[in-house]
Amino acid sequence: MSRQRKRIYSSYEKKLTPFSTSLVAEFRRAADEIGDLMSDDELRAWADQGLDLARQSWRSWEAAGEYYRVTPQVLPLLGSVGFQRWAKHGLDLAELSSALAASFFRASPVTLPAITPARIGDWVGLGRLLYKGTWRSASLAVQFFDGSPALFAKLSAEEARILVRFVDALCDRSYDLASHCLTIAAQALEPLEGDDRSAFLTFAESLASTGWADARSYLEKGPALLASIQAMQRGRFLNLARELARREGRQAFAFFAEASRALAQVDQESHGLLLSLAEELVERSPLAAMEFLKTAPMALERIPIETIAEWHAEGSALLDQSSDGGEAYFRMESSRGEDMLEALSSRVELSRISDILRMYSKALTGFEVAVHSSEALAEKGIGWVEGDAPSTEGSAIFLPPHVEEFQDKDQNFGVYKVYCTHQAGHLEFGTFEFEFERDGAIFPTERIKAEAERPPPEPAPPIDTDGHVDAPGEVTPPPGPLTDMERFFDIFADRKLASDLFAIVEDARIDVLISREYGGIRRQYGDRQSRELDRRPEASQLPVRQAFVENLVRASLGGRDRIVWPGQLMPVMIEAIGVLETLQQPQALVEDSAEATLRLYRLAEGIANVMPEMLEDWAEMSEGDLNVSPMSAESLGNDAQVDMPQGEPMPYESPQPVDFRGEFKPETVQMLMKLRQERDEKGQASPISPEQLKQMLEKSVEITIADMAQADLTQSSELFLTNLIKELNQKQDQRPGKEQPMPTEDGQPVTGMSTGDDEHELPVEPKYFFYDEWDFRAGDYRPRWCRIVESPVAEGQTSYYEQTLAKYSSLVAQTQRQFELLRPEMYRKTKRLLDGEDLDFDAVTEFAIERRARVTPNPKIYWRRNKIERDVSVAFLLDMSASTDEEIAKHERRYQKDDFDDDPRRYFSWWMARRAQELLTPPKRIIDVEKESIVLLITALEAIGDDYGIYGFSGYGRDNVEFYVVKDLDEALSDRVKKRIDKIAPVRSTRMGPAIRHATAKLEAHDSKVRILFLVSDGRPQDHGYGRDRTEKEYAIHDTHMALMEAKRKGMVPFCLTVDRYGHDYLKQMCQDIGYEVVPDIESLPSRITTLYRQLTT
Amino acid sequence: MTTESTHRQYAIEEYLVTSEPYYEPLNDEVALFEAAYAEKIPVLLKGPTGCGKTRFVEYMAYKLGRPVTVMRNSADGSKNGEESGMPLITVACHEDLTASDLVGRYLLEGDSTRWMDGPLTRAAKVGAICYLDEIVEARKDTTVLIHPLTDHRRLLPIEKLGQIVEARDGFILVISYNPGYQSALKDLKHSTRQRFMAIEFGYPPRELEAKIIAKEANISEAIGLELAKLGEKVRHLKEHGLAEGVSTRLLIYAGKLMHEGISPRRACQVAVTWALTDDADVQRSIEEVVSSIFE
Repeated sequence: MSRQRKRIYSSYEKKLTPFSTSLVAEFRRAADEIGDLMSDDELRAWADQGLDLARQSWRSWEAAGEYYRVTPQVLPLLGSVGFQRWAKHGLDLAELSSALAASFFRASPVTLPAITPARIGDWVGLGRLLYKGTWRSASLAVQFFDGSPALFAKLSAEEARILVRFVDALCDRSYDLASHCLTIAAQALEPLEGDDRSAFLTFAESLASTGWADARSYLEKGPALLASIQAMQRGRFLNLARELARREGRQAFAFFAEASRALAQVDQESHGLLLSLAEELVERSPLAAMEFLKTAPMALERIPIETIAEWHAEGSALLDQSSDGGEAYFRMESSRGEDMLEALSSRVELSRISDILRMYSKALTGFEVAVHSSEALAEKGIGWVEGDAPSTEGSAIFLPPHVEEFQDKDQNFGVYKVYCTHQAGHLEFGTFEFEFERDGAIFPTERIKAEAERPPPEPAPPIDTDGHVDAPGEVTPPPGPLTDMERFFDIFADRKLASDLFAIVEDARIDVLISREYGGIRRQYGDRQSRELDRRPEASQLPVRQAFVENLVRASLGGRDRIVWPGQLMPVMIEAIGVLETLQQPQALVEDSAEATLRLYRLAEGIANVMPEMLEDWAEMSEGDLNVSPMSAESLGNDAQVDMPQGEPMPYESPQPVDFRGEFKPETVQMLMKLRQERDEKGQASPISPEQLKQMLEKSVEITIADMAQADLTQSSELFLTNLIKELNQKQDQRPGKEQPMPTEDGQPVTGMSTGDDEHELPVEPKYFFYDEWDFRAGDYRPRWCRIVESPVAEGQTSYYEQTLAKYSSLVAQTQRQFELLRPEMYRKTKRLLDGEDLDFDAVTEFAIERRARVTPNPKIYWRRNKIERDVSVAFLLDMSASTDEEIAKHERRYQKDDFDDDPRRYFSWWMARRAQELLTPPKRIIDVEKESIVLLITALEAIGDDYGIYGFSGYGRDNVEFYVVKDLDEALSDRVKKRIDKIAPVRSTRMGPAIRHATAKLEAHDSKVRILFLVSDGRPQDHGYGRDRTEKEYAIHDTHMALMEAKRKGMVPFCLTVDRYGHDYLKQMCQDIGYEVVPDIESLPSRITTLYRQLTT
Repeated sequence: MTTESTHRQYAIEEYLVTSEPYYEPLNDEVALFEAAYAEKIPVLLKGPTGCGKTRFVEYMAYKLGRPVTVMRNSADGSKNGEESGMPLITVACHEDLTASDLVGRYLLEGDSTRWMDGPLTRAAKVGAICYLDEIVEARKDTTVLIHPLTDHRRLLPIEKLGQIVEARDGFILVISYNPGYQSALKDLKHSTRQRFMAIEFGYPPRELEAKIIAKEANISEAIGLELAKLGEKVRHLKEHGLAEGVSTRLLIYAGKLMHEGISPRRACQVAVTWALTDDADVQRSIEEVVSSIFE
């Protein structure tokens, strides 16, 4: 090193020392490295720049240190000219903040190679963009520079620019968020490729301005969500999302997430098409486009991808008319969308056809047969586990929730029909009526002998269910079998084999009877059988006993030619087929199936379940083999002895199930039927002892309770018993429901969980009904939107009724008289008729005169008496919403009851407080007046003899519209009704639409000339979710109006009465040309309501 | 006994009575009716529509040597049987049926009036079987009118003439009603129904109905059996979508259509499914039963 140089060094070292010794060290280290590349002047200029930096502010020496430190790396990258420009940027930054400059320098060595030297300015510019003069912005900018190496390693300059803009936009909201996003950005973007990043970031930018709170989730989860979308389509999807963010704002991320999850469920091949379709919509409504993507998987479950464009086109056309309508369509919240899908779909949904199949099964069997989804049966936990196999438990037929085996709807329905017919066949042809001691029609009975010969069962260990030990020495004999079926299976050592054999022969018997009885279904039935045959496993691969059973399955499916069996054992097979075919005669009874089982079992027992390799000459059976001489039923199955190869037998496994025959559990069904019968006779549903049940569970091969193998048997049998009793009680409670006319169309009753209980009675099973709701924005119904929960009102005392009568005795007498007068005169004389009871003397006189005067006489000369009948039924629909709890005095002042609707707790605390205070002198509430009016009405209606029903409604939310029955239309006035009136009490909100629809359905089922729907309310309809938001009233009013119009269209006379003195405001809109009245003076309601009713019906 | 006029009736209603009406007894109803006739006990025939009540009366009339003539009492009251002077009469009751429709009324003829006996009066006078079909449809004040005819008095007062007609020996009153679909309002009054012995009719069992259908529709017993099977299945739906089961009459219609070459499924659709109900779901269910039975 020259002396000159040394001098320069030392002079600068001296100048730098005051700042920091480490600065000096950095300087020396760098100078040593680059010294050789620079002239003295250049070196000085370089050192000066560092010095300038260090002098700029109090802590800027740190920046200077970085500057010196990175120089050796930066200089070779940029060359001296570039280096100068670079240093200048640093200096400029240092003027803003030395920390900024320091981080800039620090990041340079790694960052610079990733960006072209010409773009240093851009890079710095991004950092400067983030710097706003505050320390938080400064630290963000520092973070940016510090992160730059990682960032630029992955992002292009353009992408980085968008990222910074995004972060910058977030700064307006939250620096923490911005900082976090900046931290995770590089890593988050890692998985994305190419153009996706900029598209991803562009959407991020849009999000930052609209739904900034979601930005973080977007960065964190977005790439993963995006990854499920086909690579080529991600950009398009992001553009859609951005368009949504731009136009709709806030919910963009939620839509993005849901739509990408939805697309993840769809085959990636289809993404392109779906996105094209979505893009068609985005111009008109980005919301609709996203809704479309969201519902796509649901739609695709039902229709093939080829037809989705058709479904889309319908919605698109709808979108042109109304954006709300189109959006509801794609959200699947409109009847039209649902109908269209149904029309395009080849899949058949059980829910749509269960009514038809129910009536079909009823017709076939003559029994009350319900049709439900197999899932429902599996959920009951009473032994069935398959959610998609047809089955029956004796009182209902269970079918898979949908069938989409074919492209054609009719064919799919045909599958259902075969399923249903087979199950109905079990009921019709008495499978479950098996009696152990009854003779069959074909085979001589050997069961009883076999039972006697059976080795006695090992004495069961003492059963100890609840920890108590039986008294010593007292050995309780094992309980006898519960059912005849159980008794029958008890004969066999290998119950599983016996059960499988019985299933085969009994199913075969049913199939034969069905094809004899129902010629029309024979072809479809045959199709199913040959389909099943095609998918049977290879018999020659099975252990021999299983192959034997498998061959029997084939034979029972009409596939005798598909039997594969070793030649040396041929006699056994021939014998077995003989048994099966002897059974397949029209007169066969279930007892014959049992006998056939007994014989087949003996044959099967003789066949060791050894591996197939142990036998040779497996061959298909020829017709010749099977052309056995007809055997008599007596000799069958008793004498086929063959030599079996010796070998280690395999454990026996059941054959692959036959789809259309479904699950078959005769033992369980018989038990259930027996329990039901006992329940009906004794009214009690627990005749089964835990011991018996446990024994049955231990023995039975039919019942598989989930994870029973591991769980304690006692525990699972208790669970089973609980489920069983629940099931039985449920059925019992359903029974009274049968007497009621079933509402048509959408009002289909569904049973569900039991709720509520009363001390004296079994819990009452509420009935569920579903109704559409009118969405006035979409101009369409939302299908099955509301669920009505119908239950009777609890019973109180009759004294309330009596007291009210006494209290209003004069009014009661008066109305009674008025209404009695209303009873029509029975006959009215009509004159001037062409024909009648008798000649009308006046008319005859005129006739004679006219004839004499040679005028054409009027031939109408008879009179007759016509009977006038009053044929009126009326449904009163009482508002039982919480607001009816309002005292009348207070009501006059009218509080904003909306206040409480949002927060039931607040309402309740208010209510409780007031209740306590008023216990001494209960003030009169609206509901009290309503109740009194009801009492008065009842006396009036009884006087006139009209049919009437009294219902209350309330509820909270669309799936819980409570519908209370005080008195049903076809119920007579009884003490129970009187007791229920006592218990009418305010409950919750007012969703009028579904209540009106339900009452309409009830009236519709009631045959009367005049049907009146009388709605008594205390305010406007409102409920949770009954409108776009809580303050919106339009939606509720439109839906209520629509419900009233529906009633009117169906021939009812709707009438609305309200005690809300401000009712005119909305009633006018709600009722339009439907009659309504506002009763301003609530106290006059009882007299007014009767007067109104009188006027309405005369 | 006015055999001459009886004979004349025979001639007019030749298609009914030249041969014995086809009737398959379900039970002992023939013997019961004969006994009732001998003992002059009025008979009430109960049963669902189209199960053969009317055919039974025709058959009994034939068997007892009395042809039945149908006189529909049309709503406008024009008399379509006045010149025939029918001795034996079926009246299809309807809700406007008045007492004078049964007993008789004055007609204006030229410048004077002429009394015209009603069907009931005629039946009583000639001693015929008077068959009031669907009696509950008639107005209650009308049904009261038959009371004196149905007890030991066997009298028919004709108020307007100031006369009382004593029923002739052969006279017997037969009424029918369908307990199924009438509402409680239209139930038969007890004072009325307790004047009759009742014979209950049901749909015949499958094999018998098959025979009837085959014979009436002139089709093979096999097809008759399929139709009878269909009838049995569809009747299971009574009260479950259907107010009334399918009548033997409709099944015969279906058989007749098949006889004319209509395909079985189509014949059942028009003669059974569509005839029975308008409810689309129920129609579909019945069609599924049809398509299960017929190919």
